[in-house]
Amino acid sequence: MSPVVPIGPFHPALEEPYKVEVTCEGERITDASVVVGFNFRGIEWLAERKSYTQDIALLERVCGICSNVHTLMFSRAVEKIAGLEVPDRAQYIRVVIAEAERLHSHLLWAGVACNLIGFETLFMTCFSLREQVMDILERISGNRVNYAMNRPGGVNRDISDPGAVLAAVRTIEKTTSGKLIPIMTGDPTVRARCAGVGVLSRDDALAHGAVGPLARASGLTQDIRRSAPYEAYDKLDFDVPVRDEGDVLARIVVRASEILQSCRLIEQAVETMPAGPIGGPLYPSVPAGEASVRVEAPRGEVFYYLASDGTDVPVRVRVRTPTFVNMPTVPLMAVGESISDLPLIQASIDPCYSCNDR
Amino acid sequence: MTSVRAAVQLLVFPGLGYAVAAGFLMEWMQRKINARLQGRLGPPFYQPFFDVVKLLGKRPVERPPLQGLMMTALPAGAVVATLGAVALLPVVPSGGGFAGDLVLLVGLIELGPLLLVLGGFASRSLWGGLGASREAIMTAAYNLPFLTALIALAHSSGLSLNGAALEGSWPVRVLALLAILICLPAKLHLNPFSIAGAEQEIYAGATTEYDGPRLAMWELAHSLEWVALVGLVAALSLPVTGLGWPVRVLVFLGLSLLVVVLLSATAAATARLKLAQTARWFWLWALVPAASALVLAYAGI
Repeated sequence: MSPVVPIGPFHPALEEPYKVEVTCEGERITDASVVVGFNFRGIEWLAERKSYTQDIALLERVCGICSNVHTLMFSRAVEKIAGLEVPDRAQYIRVVIAEAERLHSHLLWAGVACNLIGFETLFMTCFSLREQVMDILERISGNRVNYAMNRPGGVNRDISDPGAVLAAVRTIEKTTSGKLIPIMTGDPTVRARCAGVGVLSRDDALAHGAVGPLARASGLTQDIRRSAPYEAYDKLDFDVPVRDEGDVLARIVVRASEILQSCRLIEQAVETMPAGPIGGPLYPSVPAGEASVRVEAPRGEVFYYLASDGTDVPVRVRVRTPTFVNMPTVPLMAVGESISDLPLIQASIDPCYSCNDR
Repeated sequence: MTSVRAAVQLLVFPGLGYAVAAGFLMEWMQRKINARLQGRLGPPFYQPFFDVVKLLGKRPVERPPLQGLMMTALPAGAVVATLGAVALLPVVPSGGGFAGDLVLLVGLIELGPLLLVLGGFASRSLWGGLGASREAIMTAAYNLPFLTALIALAHSSGLSLNGAALEGSWPVRVLALLAILICLPAKLHLNPFSIAGAEQEIYAGATTEYDGPRLAMWELAHSLEWVALVGLVAALSLPVTGLGWPVRVLVFLGLSLLVVVLLSATAAATARLKLAQTARWFWLWALVPAASALVLAYAGI
């Protein structure tokens, strides 16, 4: 008899409620499926009943990690419909916050991945680094999780102490390149657990429309920051790391390289930031119209659709998070692997099912 | 006099009194070292003791009579067997009384994992079963080099645990000790071989369904396993002659704690391997020193 092993909805390997059900023969997985919907909060429904200003606070709570991306998306959609111009300085500040958030998200993911392969010491190292990123975010915005930085036409707060931000980012960059990356990519036990595990071929990634670091670790060069630059990204210099192996180790390497790229972006943005105003109107009037926007969140492309009928309440708010498209690749990667690898494989897409459920 | 001595050996040192205290101490040391290496403070030294006391005070979940009986008897058996193994450790050369021999010592040490496998299946939980089957496969993996090393020792110096008879050749002893040392992380469920209780994969493995005093007994058995296995390495590394018993005891304690530090540091610096990788590792690499010891022992070197 092949037992069906339910990983979740509550399981030490999962950060949030969802379920990966696998059929096993001994330790080998023969079938897998992902069950979601445990964290449905009706955010889209609520957003269509609140004003634009209230929606910003609501949508910030779609995700507990990439909260900034959602307010950025919503603000950009409103700006598109209302034809609002964002001041240059605000665009740079948006880049700084978005990249600090990417640092925070990738370090959190790295910690979780280490925890899943039983490497507690490295998990603690990642989380102490992440704490420093959260300190930067707190220094800028006054908040550690929901930064409340974006509003249509600009940002809410200026970066008043750029020196401290630069110093903190340089420390993070040094520890990441000197300590974290060598261990995560070179330690024999980490390699034994990650190399050749959970392979997603380039063709499969393309066929499933995979996005973000998952796609980039399978040889797809796609990054919205590069292909459709927004805010100040076209004025800044950065690389898009891509690997061809498609295994868990490649995903680790891609994310680790992105940590360094984010540090680079923050440094450039803080150093080259022009002076000037930062904010738009507090209560913008939004004419009738519709807009769709996309940006590169830490986990990949996020898509928003916003429709307005000219009142102060949107008619339709549609949120599609990267996990929605990355999720179907999990069974593909898990079948044929051992059950010991399952927590790591399902985590390697950096899932956020709570955002996905909305 | 010999019966008094045997009683002291069983109840005081290295038996009951020492074993329980040292078990808690070693468990604490492992947690503390791990925590310090991870930049955390770690628990106070009495924490493992408090953990067991807390569990003892809890009322376990009602089980069907036979299942409840098995889930109580199996961990109790593990505690008694492991305690027996500690009491047999050849720290001070026996002057008489019941000394046992290597076969009995190994039998008692191996009874713990065997009972844990049975306990996992007896709990009738999916996770318990998965943990138990992993433990069983692990036992098959690490016991090949472990037992080969012990056979080499026995061939070199005889089966008796009486100190004088441990006077085998040094090369055999060193190689056999190395093989045993490599097997210890697996036997103690430590990284990189903490597979049978991998919480991110299978919760607590075989002990997932255990609670209250039943879990306390598994915890106690695990602490005692530390003392027995670390003590085995320490006792086998002791010079056979030329030391008075107080010095022997002190050297034994020092060596035991050194092994604990070594194991804890290794565990903190590694990730968890997979079952198949572990089996391959033990049957290939850990077998090298064990087999070499065996060859040397049979060649009479």
